[in-house]
Amino acid sequence: MKFAKWSTLALFALTAAPALAWEPSKPVEIVVAAGAGGASDQMARMMQAAIQKNNLMKQPMVVSLKGGASGAEALIYMKSGAGDPHKVLIAYSLIYMLPLSAKIPFNWRELTPVSVIALDQFVLWDNTTLPHKSVKEFIAAAKGANPPFKMGGTGSKREDHVLTVFLEKRTGAKFAYLPYKSGGEAATQLVGNHTQSNVNNPSENLEVWRAGQVRALCVFDKERMQYKSKVTDAMSWNDVPTCKEEGIDVQYLMLRAMFLPGKVAPEQTAFYVDLFRKLTQTSEYKDYMEKQALKPVFLTGKSMLDFLEEDDALNKNLMTEAGFVAN
Amino acid sequence: MEAFGLLVYGFSVLLTWKILALMMVGLVLGIFVGVLPGLGGPNGVAILLPLTFTMDPTSAIVMLSCIYWGALFGGAITSILFNIPGEAWSVATTFDGYPMAQQGKAAEALTAAFTSSFIGSLVAVLLITFLAPGIASFALRFGPPEFFAVYLLTFCSFVGLGREEKHKTIISMALGLLLAGVGMDTVSGQLRMTFGFDELLRGINFLVAVIGLFGISEILLTMEERLALRGHAASISLRVVLKVWKEMPRYWVTLLRSSAIGCWLGITPGGAIAASFMSYNLAKRFSKDKESFGKGRIEGVFAPETAAHASGTSALLPMLALGIPGSGTAAILLGGLMVWGLNPGPLLFVEHKGFVWGLIASMYLGNVVGLILVLTTVPIFAAVLRVPFSAIAPMIVVSCAIGAYAIQNAMFDIWLMLLFGVVGYVFKKIGIPLAPFTLALVLGNRAEDSFRLSMIGSGGDMRVFWSNGLVGSITTLALVLLLWPLIGGAFGRMRSAFARKTATGTADVR
Amino acid sequence: MAKSQDEIVVEDPAAPAGDSPAVASTRAVDIVVSLLLLAFAGVLAFDNWRTGMGWDATGPQAGYFPFYLSVILAAASVWGLAKELFARGQASASFVTRAQLRRVLQVFVPTLLFCLFTQWLGLYVASFLLIAGFMVLVGRIAAWKSLLTAFLFSLAMFVTFEIAFDVIMPKGPIESLFGR
Repeated sequence: MKFAKWSTLALFALTAAPALAWEPSKPVEIVVAAGAGGASDQMARMMQAAIQKNNLMKQPMVVSLKGGASGAEALIYMKSGAGDPHKVLIAYSLIYMLPLSAKIPFNWRELTPVSVIALDQFVLWDNTTLPHKSVKEFIAAAKGANPPFKMGGTGSKREDHVLTVFLEKRTGAKFAYLPYKSGGEAATQLVGNHTQSNVNNPSENLEVWRAGQVRALCVFDKERMQYKSKVTDAMSWNDVPTCKEEGIDVQYLMLRAMFLPGKVAPEQTAFYVDLFRKLTQTSEYKDYMEKQALKPVFLTGKSMLDFLEEDDALNKNLMTEAGFVAN
Repeated sequence: MEAFGLLVYGFSVLLTWKILALMMVGLVLGIFVGVLPGLGGPNGVAILLPLTFTMDPTSAIVMLSCIYWGALFGGAITSILFNIPGEAWSVATTFDGYPMAQQGKAAEALTAAFTSSFIGSLVAVLLITFLAPGIASFALRFGPPEFFAVYLLTFCSFVGLGREEKHKTIISMALGLLLAGVGMDTVSGQLRMTFGFDELLRGINFLVAVIGLFGISEILLTMEERLALRGHAASISLRVVLKVWKEMPRYWVTLLRSSAIGCWLGITPGGAIAASFMSYNLAKRFSKDKESFGKGRIEGVFAPETAAHASGTSALLPMLALGIPGSGTAAILLGGLMVWGLNPGPLLFVEHKGFVWGLIASMYLGNVVGLILVLTTVPIFAAVLRVPFSAIAPMIVVSCAIGAYAIQNAMFDIWLMLLFGVVGYVFKKIGIPLAPFTLALVLGNRAEDSFRLSMIGSGGDMRVFWSNGLVGSITTLALVLLLWPLIGGAFGRMRSAFARKTATGTADVR
Repeated sequence: MAKSQDEIVVEDPAAPAGDSPAVASTRAVDIVVSLLLLAFAGVLAFDNWRTGMGWDATGPQAGYFPFYLSVILAAASVWGLAKELFARGQASASFVTRAQLRRVLQVFVPTLLFCLFTQWLGLYVASFLLIAGFMVLVGRIAAWKSLLTAFLFSLAMFVTFEIAFDVIMPKGPIESLFGR
């Protein structure tokens, strides 16, 4: 029954579309530059489901995990796929950071930017069994700790590591940073008390937060998160203070953006811009944004390019200041 | 008996014609992807995942987990018949399964593999059913030192075991560990041993190496001998099945030990691969007749299969309870859960009872139905041996290439596979054992990472490996196993001196 | 014996002769492999020394383990080399006889060509050529049987992977004629 309804819809969409518009002729690969179950993978699966359920595209979408070499595998794969319009990369800040820290021969300008579809937050978390209830108490405890507090994160010399370094610089506390393979691993290691804290994305710690195993101390943004419905028994995302309110001036937002390989035709890019614009209007996308506390944005064309250049410069500064740029 | 009530509830969720039909479809698809070398469980589940998006979560997970059970069963088939492990954890099954097939006991080997898989999974499901809440918190006690201790235990259970000369075992393991390190180093974020080649960035994939080392090299070796093949028609499956089943109770210790190892390594994500190797080695070590291992001993099939499947099944527990996938396939199922709008975590057991207990009930049903299904298809698969080798050989080459390519969509991997084929051929002929190499290639990186994370955490203090009862006892057990040849040798000498045997009287400590 | 009617025995008329002269002894191959491994270990040791093989404040550096593993590999290779060189007296077994080598090359060379063709013509065409060629030339099976088997197998693979499962394999000019 459902199928019948969709096929009518599809038929309608088909007849309504301009006659000469380009469309994918084979399955489209969403390339994920991270391991299974990470934030990028979850997002790719959401997109795959939303596009399939709402029949936004005739060809199926296939999620292709290329998390090897901390995501460098995906970048090289996209670079080598120049001219192939059946691959889209779901990118995050690694496109700026990896070429700096590991000298990967890659530059995002070699790919074709399609759209920015969300911005991701970072939150400072600790384990609920620890005595400190606020950021101030946590930092005070961290300063006096010997051996130093352990901070879990994903990968080395990347966003989580950079945030840890800046947290150290602004507060004077010292942390032992433990680079795990994924945000999920960082979350369970925090719950198991093998680390004292982490700086995971909301989505990565959501379930353990709801189960009351970790505490959200503060969010690294200028303003509080907008979602006011209760997530745990007592708190909504909006109840988490910003780190600035708590006296630590560290801010970081991470892009979630879609890229095609280089040298694709303008009408091919246009198809995907349109596809992702429609995606951001689906209820699946909106639910996902709220549940995982992402900032919904949609940037494309010139505004996206400006954003990328600015973001690139910002990330480069952070990496240089943290001392993570390989020479 | 709260668990029992919930289980009955789970069965009530399952017993509809629609779900039962989906189970059958899932099992058949699973066996199919398990038999195709290189496709295997994780790829098969990943490829078929999109089919389930329009289903309700319970039907979807039942179908996917049945694909998973099917793939687990199917992986044994190619290992035994062609010496090509369809899955990484089937490598240990080839050690005795393939010699059995060559001796004309293919049907026995397959029956043994399927039945022990069934027993392994059953033990694991029982464990999941009754220990779910408690085990979730046990898994949380595993930090970097504990993980390192488990990997150490796996390696130590290996050293000093083979018939091969010691320096050759060391060469094999060192080479495996080195190749495992190629690519990005997670802990420092640095590249190493890539020599500027983009293709080496992602490292050397374990499955590509295994397909070359085992599949391609085996064809070269077979060709060198003769093209003649001996197989068993396996037409009377029921008689063979009953014969194998009659033999099984004799190996109850092996079955029990392997199930325990499997469950333990599945829950603490050590993985089915480590479990299958470890239980094969232990079965060999504790056997009175060590010589016959590797030459077609049925116990050598029971041990790794039981452990691999116990671990493959119990890997679902940390996935559901914590969101840590214990295996590659579990990781993909995890992705599936999230697509259906379920978030794995401790609350899943509270908020989605029907889903969780439906899944657990489907593990019981899926395994029983799966066992019957594979046993009835044994004759079909064993009959493949009738086809002349000169037709089968190129088909195996093609299947190997497809498998090697599909893992990462890289042409480079096909060349790598060919290279490993030659290496495997030469190594086999000069007596360098391949098993330590494969084990090291799989676990090398994880072992190194967990060691280095432990060091960062402790500020470089080695005592962290004895810092609590859990990690201390695993580390100690590992060292005991490592030194077992010496300890066992001393015992043996004492015994033989006591018995006043020959003047040379040293015990055989291989 | 009782079940001999169930036995499948496929005889091979072209089995290698047992009295063919040896091309190389196992000892010679052992020595060559040891030398190659030694060289490999040297290269890796150098690369890891460059990466950094020390032990800093946060534990071992990226090159620490690989460096010492290369040293261990080198030591084991030297050990093996010494053992083979000093093991005089007993005659070494044959590594491969001339007849055997010919047969190994009969399968290795086609496999190598198959890999090359996969790169140029795509996997399916290469697989057709490999199976048909191997069956006719090596197996001496009738041409029509070989061509049919090769075609059906390649087609089955194509349908399974490209159509049913959306697994994308390397393809060449012939597949693109069909719009794939």
